[in-house]
Amino acid sequence: MPACGAEQDSGLARVRRTGELRWGADAQGGEPYAMEDPDAPGGMRGFEVELAEALARELGVKARFVQNDWSNLIPSLERGGFDVALNGMEVTPARSGRILFTRPYYVFNLRLLARQDDAAVTGMAALRGQRVGTLANSLAWDLLQRSGVEAVPYEGVEEPYIDLEQGRVRAVLMDDIIAQRYGQVRPGLRLVGDVGEGYYAIAVRQGDEDLREALDAALGRIAHSGELRAIFQRWGIDSAAQQRMVDWTDAQTREVLSNTHTARMGWGQLVLFLQAAVVTLLVSAGAMVLAIPLGVGLALTRLYGPGWAGRLATAYVELFRGTPVLLQLYVLYYGLAGVLRLEPLSAAILGLGLNYAAYEAEVYRAGVLAVPRGQLEAAMALGMPLKLALRRVIMPQAFRVALPGVTNDFIALLKDSSLVSVISVVELTKRMTITAVDVRSWLIPGALCALLYLAMSYPLSRLARRLEARLERG
Amino acid sequence: MIEVEKLSKRYDGRLVLDGIDATFAPGEMTALVGPSGGGKSTLLRCLNGLESFDAGVVRVGSDTLAPGDVRAQGEKVRSIRRRVGFVFQQWHLFAHRTALGNVTEAPMHVKGVGRKEALERGRELLEKVGLSHREDAYPSELSGGEQQRVAIARALAMEPEVLLLDEPTSALDPERVGGLIDVLEQLRSEGLTLVSVTHEMRFAQELASRVLVLYGGRIIEEGPPDRVLASPHHERTRAFLGLGRVAALRTMGA
Repeated sequence: MPACGAEQDSGLARVRRTGELRWGADAQGGEPYAMEDPDAPGGMRGFEVELAEALARELGVKARFVQNDWSNLIPSLERGGFDVALNGMEVTPARSGRILFTRPYYVFNLRLLARQDDAAVTGMAALRGQRVGTLANSLAWDLLQRSGVEAVPYEGVEEPYIDLEQGRVRAVLMDDIIAQRYGQVRPGLRLVGDVGEGYYAIAVRQGDEDLREALDAALGRIAHSGELRAIFQRWGIDSAAQQRMVDWTDAQTREVLSNTHTARMGWGQLVLFLQAAVVTLLVSAGAMVLAIPLGVGLALTRLYGPGWAGRLATAYVELFRGTPVLLQLYVLYYGLAGVLRLEPLSAAILGLGLNYAAYEAEVYRAGVLAVPRGQLEAAMALGMPLKLALRRVIMPQAFRVALPGVTNDFIALLKDSSLVSVISVVELTKRMTITAVDVRSWLIPGALCALLYLAMSYPLSRLARRLEARLERG
Repeated sequence: MIEVEKLSKRYDGRLVLDGIDATFAPGEMTALVGPSGGGKSTLLRCLNGLESFDAGVVRVGSDTLAPGDVRAQGEKVRSIRRRVGFVFQQWHLFAHRTALGNVTEAPMHVKGVGRKEALERGRELLEKVGLSHREDAYPSELSGGEQQRVAIARALAMEPEVLLLDEPTSALDPERVGGLIDVLEQLRSEGLTLVSVTHEMRFAQELASRVLVLYGGRIIEEGPPDRVLASPHHERTRAFLGLGRVAALRTMGA
């Protein structure tokens, strides 16, 4: 059976048997690492693409790219989604303690950028207590955690610099390759300085020691032959410092990888989880408070408003229901940043609120339609104007019908609120992801995260059921 | 006092009201009778603007309803509705409000009567229709007869000059009809104008001071119940009442 065979194979044997070196990376990481080739749809380009191909050639196999969300490259590697993770994977103590690293293939600097008009930012020391953006679980993230600043996690490389320009973070700390291409090109930003150094290496699963050794040897060969720096030169990322990659020794590898530490779940983590749960609750409740009146307005406009207004309300519902909420959050927070500068939390509440209003509108519309026609007629016959009849007679009854749907939506919203991590809000799910990578386990953070979600949603559904029972009488 | 002049209404190209002229005076109880589709319910609904019409005029005191969309007539139609109460065949009590809540709703929110006064008046009205002990009950907890009496109290709470009733006996057990007649008799003696659509001849006979027979959107006969119901002039009335040549007509129709 192939499955059993695969399990018994060592890493190198598996790669040789399948004739493929499957390397995981995130095409969203973009230029110059690994990205889709605009000239050859489905193809990839980037210095890491060339590196992967050179290494595969050295191993006598073909390189095959596997797309994976960057922040989950390590867990996916461990699950066996691919043979190696090769995507600007920085050597950090947390990662060194969890997976195997090859010798480094690139040395980079951690580069700090601030706004041109913000001369007060002179270095890390000047940023105590300030918001500083970076990629979550990166080397820069580790450094920020230790330096007394408020680290703001991002999932892409453009977004932190957009936020820096908008003044939503005070500075951004990123690898120099990223800073140079995505940050320093923005006229409003300036280089503060390089505050540290790190290495990119290839991550290999524990137990695949032979694959790591083969890759180390292959890296050594292409470094000595000059191919490695030729690749860097082609991508404009070569520097004198890269000569160290050519002269690299095994002793240096051991030294770089010797610094391992394993974070553990502790009281500190628990406090962070509770804080994140409060953010989740705040975002969800805030969005719902916005969505309910807006939804009622939309539903009533569709049912009773003049034709043009009804069509407008219908268009709103279709637009917000028919496009991904993730896209809406991006547009609201980054797309409209030039005209509407929202703080992450307000943008999260507004974005989810506007989106859920579309769903609420439909729930209430169904509720109103479920109220017998005679109720409105009876109210009108008593001389009530339409608005009064809707407020006093129709909506209270419609709400009773709509309540289970509204509860359902609120619980869905509690979970959907995890999407706001794309606009740098650290809510419960994001906290869980960050911690899980730190402590090398998804089990405990995952269970704690699930427990906290349940602790929020279960009382809510109980409350709703009691309310339903109370309304049932009338 | 309601006056109706040359009232006409088309529905799907069919003339459902065809030049109705009628006056409904205070202290008078008018029974609208006639076969289904004759226009009696439509006429009743036109009297408080629940239904729009195409020609003619409806006058309630100084307020006048004109042909065309009633919704466009805003305050005028609401003013008429406040003065003309309507008791629906299926009552349509507000399902989310108690009996007392149903009765106080419109005075408080339409007329702006204070809560205390509205509750006081509401309790009086429930007592009047014999439902003091049920004021906290929701409509789903009330019998048909009780719901109807709450519906009457709800309409009366607006202190209307006119009370319109659509088939008030149709959902009542026969032994309940007597109670309804007592309540309405008292209202008439207080000077209310009562108009009721009915197919119950005993009800018309006992309560009405006048019967209007509608057929094909016209009033084909009118007069005191004793005369109209016992010896109708019009052939159609006789047929409707099942008198005289019904058998012959049936044979001919077949």
